[in-house]
Amino acid sequence: MTTGPDARLFDLGYRSYDGARERPERPILTLAEFTARRVLGLGRGGRHKVLPAITLVIAFLPALFSVVFTVFTDDILVDDLITYGEYTFFIGSALALFAALVAPEALCPDRRSGMLGLYLAGPLDRTRYLLAKGLAVFGVMLLITVGPLLFMMLAFVLAGYGPTAGETPKLLLRILASGLATALLYAALSMAVSSFTTRRAAAAVGVILLLFVPAIVVRSAIDGAGAPNELDLFSFPFVVANLAYRIFGETPDETEPVAELSTWVVTGGVGAAIVAGALVCWLRYRRLEAFR
Amino acid sequence: MARTAVPETQSPVVVSGRGVVKRYGRTVALAGLDADIGPRITGLLGSNGAGKTTFISLILGLRSRESGELTVLGKDPATAGIEVRSRVGYAPEHHDLPSELSATDFVRHLAEMHLLPRRAAVQRANDALWLVGLGEERFRPVGLMSTGQRQRVKLASAIAHDPELVLLDEPTDGLDPMQRTEMLALIRRIGTEFGVHIVLSSHHLEEAERICDAVVIVEGGEVVRAGRLADLRRGPEGLVVEVDERADELAAILSSRGLEVTLDGGVLLLGPVEDANDTVRDAVAELGVGLRRLEPRGRTLEDVYLGANT
Repeated sequence: MTTGPDARLFDLGYRSYDGARERPERPILTLAEFTARRVLGLGRGGRHKVLPAITLVIAFLPALFSVVFTVFTDDILVDDLITYGEYTFFIGSALALFAALVAPEALCPDRRSGMLGLYLAGPLDRTRYLLAKGLAVFGVMLLITVGPLLFMMLAFVLAGYGPTAGETPKLLLRILASGLATALLYAALSMAVSSFTTRRAAAAVGVILLLFVPAIVVRSAIDGAGAPNELDLFSFPFVVANLAYRIFGETPDETEPVAELSTWVVTGGVGAAIVAGALVCWLRYRRLEAFR
Repeated sequence: MARTAVPETQSPVVVSGRGVVKRYGRTVALAGLDADIGPRITGLLGSNGAGKTTFISLILGLRSRESGELTVLGKDPATAGIEVRSRVGYAPEHHDLPSELSATDFVRHLAEMHLLPRRAAVQRANDALWLVGLGEERFRPVGLMSTGQRQRVKLASAIAHDPELVLLDEPTDGLDPMQRTEMLALIRRIGTEFGVHIVLSSHHLEEAERICDAVVIVEGGEVVRAGRLADLRRGPEGLVVEVDERADELAAILSSRGLEVTLDGGVLLLGPVEDANDTVRDAVAELGVGLRRLEPRGRTLEDVYLGANT
């Protein structure tokens, strides 16, 4: 066989690698992206896509109804439209379901399958690992805390009910602030619960219990035994929804104990819950036996 | 620059430990371990609980030591863990891998996690899987693979990012004899052809004997014997002779001809004498018995191991 001067051998098989390497921080983004894709069922079998799809549908459905409503109904009063604060409250169940789905899927399988040990045997330490997982959980949560509101805003703008050009940046900032606070709270709490078990189902149940049992208990104590309203800060889903109302400058349900608290106290309560959740998760992983 | 295979005679220290102490509560896992691990393939041997896994976790910088010095590829893994781990590959003992991922996705993902750009990771994952004999099977989910195939996937994931040092924890666990032979040949090839230093943690002495250039034997958290295999196995000079029958008569003949003979069961151990081979040949012919074995005296790794533990 004759070969010209330009002949090249492309498939050389396994050999030493002398090409470029990424920076040591790169694995954080790689793992975050990998985790987010797995959580959403991307690149996985059909059954892994069902729950994320259902949750996304629940989250976006009210926005879709609003769009249809505004498009097909004439002479709508602006007061008839759903507000952004109300929207955040209405999709609370989807947020809880998503929180119960996302963090357990992100954290539990790695400990169950031994992948955590393989990750930590690479250029990651526990803090970087948790940062990557936190980014993934938070990023996916943002999909339904910010996505539907942006979708609704766009629909309102196109239908002529939206904010004016001057009001738009302010509304966008409010959507972002509300979405960030909600996503951070759900991400931190669900990651804290997921750090205690390797079983996704147990973690999912734990997340739901953490979100709703304290709310039931403290509200019973406040209503029945006259406990201070500050205890309502443990009603996590309602507190963050209340904060969303305040961010959008709307009036929340005034019968809720949390409505009696100042915005600073509510903001501090949400912030404290986020920090506590993240801290619990970090402390759990610091002590975890990952190498076997 | 691409690495080349390291000649056996070169001896840069890949891992060096001096007085390494690690405790779990009151339990002492490593009690002042001193070890130098050189290039190519080194067997880390010892019984269960001897401290092998603890030592590996210290090499990876996943645990902190109480005292002593440890360097891996010239760095202290306790302070430069991320840098060390980016240059090291690791295949764990357990076979639990993410079952839904295909072999190629699993290996590619870990290669990316070890700082390879995505395109390079895809290419090298495929190359590594072909090297370990899973080229045709690389798109199968890991969960549908046999134990032998999973061991190969773990090996591929440990080498795909082209590490300088690979730590293999019981890489033949769960394999049948044929698979074990193939896996050992593969490890030997990786350790000799591609310039990758390998630490093979195992409690199978014969495996280490077959492919390792050196061994470190750990017991009770201390190194009880270490060195190049050829040096450790070097025993007294002389011959080992085994015949079908009448070994005692052969021993008497050889003694009468001036050889120092020790009869150990049916085996004759001869002292160092010039032309002993010819003397044995003639004596066996005279007796008319079958010669089963005639070889230089030496020690097996099992002798070394047992000697180190007595």
